[in-house]
Amino acid sequence: MSTHTTNHHVEHPDVVGSRNRLGVILILVADIAFALSVLFVYFYLKGQNVNDMWLPKATEDTAAVLPLSSSGAWIVTALAGVGLLSHGSALRAAKAKQNSQLVLGSIVALVLSIGAIAYQLNLIFSVNFVMGMGSYYSCYMLIAWLNVVHLALTVFIALGNWNRARLNLYAKDHWQVAIVNVWWIWMFVSSGLGAFALTFT
Amino acid sequence: MTTTLNRPSASAHSAPKRALIERLNIFTALALGVISAVVVWRLALQFLPQDSEEAIFFNREDKITLLSMIAWFIGFMVGIGALIGPFRWVMGKDLSHDENMFYAGKDLGVKRYFRYTTDHKVVGIQYLVVTVVIFFIGGVLAMLIRTNLGNPEGGWIHPQAYNAIVGTHGIVMIVATIIMVTGPFGNFIMPIMIGARDMAFPRLNALSLWLIVAAAAPILWGLAIGGISTGWTAYNPLASQAPLGQNGYIMFICIFAISTMVAGANITTTVIRMRAKGMTWNRTPIFIYGVVASVALALPAFPVFFLSQIMSAMDRAIGTSFYDAQHGGSGWLYENLFWLMGHPEVYVILIPAVAALMEMAPVFTRNPLFSFNLAVIGIAGISGLSALVWAHHMYMSGWAPLLNIPFMLTTELISIPTGMLFLVLIGTLWRGRLWVTMPMASVFALLWNFMIGGVTGIYLSDIPADAFLHGSMYVTAHFHYTLMGAGLTGAIAALVFWFPKMTGRIFDAKLSWISFWMVQIGFQIAFIGMFLVGLAGQPRRVEGYAETFNTGNMVTTGGAYLIMAGMLVLLYALIHSWMNGEKASMNPWHSKTLEWTVANPIPLENFDVLPTVTTDAYGYGKEIR
Repeated sequence: MSTHTTNHHVEHPDVVGSRNRLGVILILVADIAFALSVLFVYFYLKGQNVNDMWLPKATEDTAAVLPLSSSGAWIVTALAGVGLLSHGSALRAAKAKQNSQLVLGSIVALVLSIGAIAYQLNLIFSVNFVMGMGSYYSCYMLIAWLNVVHLALTVFIALGNWNRARLNLYAKDHWQVAIVNVWWIWMFVSSGLGAFALTFT
Repeated sequence: MTTTLNRPSASAHSAPKRALIERLNIFTALALGVISAVVVWRLALQFLPQDSEEAIFFNREDKITLLSMIAWFIGFMVGIGALIGPFRWVMGKDLSHDENMFYAGKDLGVKRYFRYTTDHKVVGIQYLVVTVVIFFIGGVLAMLIRTNLGNPEGGWIHPQAYNAIVGTHGIVMIVATIIMVTGPFGNFIMPIMIGARDMAFPRLNALSLWLIVAAAAPILWGLAIGGISTGWTAYNPLASQAPLGQNGYIMFICIFAISTMVAGANITTTVIRMRAKGMTWNRTPIFIYGVVASVALALPAFPVFFLSQIMSAMDRAIGTSFYDAQHGGSGWLYENLFWLMGHPEVYVILIPAVAALMEMAPVFTRNPLFSFNLAVIGIAGISGLSALVWAHHMYMSGWAPLLNIPFMLTTELISIPTGMLFLVLIGTLWRGRLWVTMPMASVFALLWNFMIGGVTGIYLSDIPADAFLHGSMYVTAHFHYTLMGAGLTGAIAALVFWFPKMTGRIFDAKLSWISFWMVQIGFQIAFIGMFLVGLAGQPRRVEGYAETFNTGNMVTTGGAYLIMAGMLVLLYALIHSWMNGEKASMNPWHSKTLEWTVANPIPLENFDVLPTVTTDAYGYGKEIR
């Protein structure tokens, strides 16, 4: 391999940002595969309805198991959507070098992510889940806990983003804010996919 | 190691934390992991309520075991320092240049190998050691299996323990073969080969390595509490009802899957974004294609496996019913999720090993790589088709019989891109002026072993033949020819080939040859014997067998002992060459790829000035040497 040499000791933030964005997107590919597999599980078990136990019917001894409303999942999605919009405004502020707007957008996004996770946990612990309630409830739990994991990561990222904005660390470049936006988009989409699935009982 | 222009004030924030970074190493990780596991185990024993009457297929012990293993994992990762970077980011106290250099292992000497070091060369060596250790464990288990099979009535191992040994051997070896090329050589060699100073994400690189180390404990822990009695596939609902040791398998896979995802994103980003100036895609060495294809396949495949194990854990610990048909679950669901990962995983193992040999063949024949484009098409074709063949593992399961024929066709189609890789290797050898080294001989060994593995695989892809051969020792022999005969042969050749660059010393040629012949001869004896007993009807994964299979099993066990002896010679050669081997020149093989242009020992940032590539790496003329 014939070569000649050029000197590059320091990388421009745009180069680093572009690389980090690709890395995050590739990690999201794995997470997307995971989330789509969860949906596959939901619709596979719903379609199979093995032993009529997706949602067991009433018997002499037990009452019928009823599906849960998907409205809770849609509310979580809505909170994620507003969080995304808020972070989007923060990103625009970062691009316009308006740090106070950036801090405001970031903290609103953080608060919304905390609200969403609290609401999601409340939904989970208000379900009276017991063994034998059929595979629908198993899938409901899986989708709900996937949301919790995503939201926990969102809280962590949003907290860091707000703190860094507060410390004026995005004064020179904003590629990290842009990458956090990519995560918010995926958070919103994955939450919406889960809510969409739960609409079909 | 990459640095950015921004945030010069970051070091001002970080001074007080330096001491913590310095203190963390593998010993603090082990200590914190063990303490966390013990504390959580005691707390869970104390506070977890007793099982309810509905707890038929799950129990309190599963919850306690899983919680303790999770605590081990978190404790270990905190103890090694994996969380410092993310928490410093949240706190707005980015690592300073000095701290990054410390993380990279600058001036740390041998201590850097016991830390969360980010230098890709250190990570590559760590991967090499971890791979050798995993192979050693898997190899010992293999010898226990073969020794026990020396007697038709079963031997001295309790049947339950035998099952656990078979399952652990399977999954441990699968993991070892997955990381055997992309781990050591994908990390150490690949960044230099593309002209980069490090990986795209050095901390993620270290994370992927230490996740594997953290994953080792649950699988060994599981072995002590009942082991994996389900075989490496851990089919459900069998796995949901297996002993507590199954939790070790679940944790092992979950942690390993995260490692694979992280490594996949890191390696792919590195290759796409950090190739040297002028290294266009048709000047990029074929080994790079192999590594990227492997990790890119793993990236969407392993999350599916990860999910299958999370659901298995939920079924065991909290009583969900994903796989329990009585309550609306399905065993076929598990099989689909498992093989959606399981078949691409075969190519995750094979492609980089074959690509490594395609990288070596031009060096030792002094021929250009025959049809570079065909090699790339072959790799891409295998990668693409491998995602469409998973259900050929399920012909006999009764799942979707109408889909059997389409899956048979896609499986048989994969022979075409595989044949392209054979053609590339044979074309490169054709009229070459062979420099017969052990890596060169490994090219021939691969062609032989992979041909047998491939041709026997065609029968298994064929539905009528599979009805007869499924679940027999024939299958076991087939995949050993593929993963070991082809994959491991390529990985060992890669070790000998790149050893001078990784250690600065030449791998002992005489010992490498002795090992090569012992392993290859032992391999043919062991697995041709296994083919014969499989064709005659001996089932796999059983402790005892009919008297009629005795001779074949004795032959196989004899061959396995020869493989073991050859592997021990290889291990001795590795240690001996590393400690006392002849010092290597910068480019002992007269190769043309970039890694051979850097001095031994390789500087921390590989290149003082980044190279610009102007030709491909295969411009060999026969007159050289």
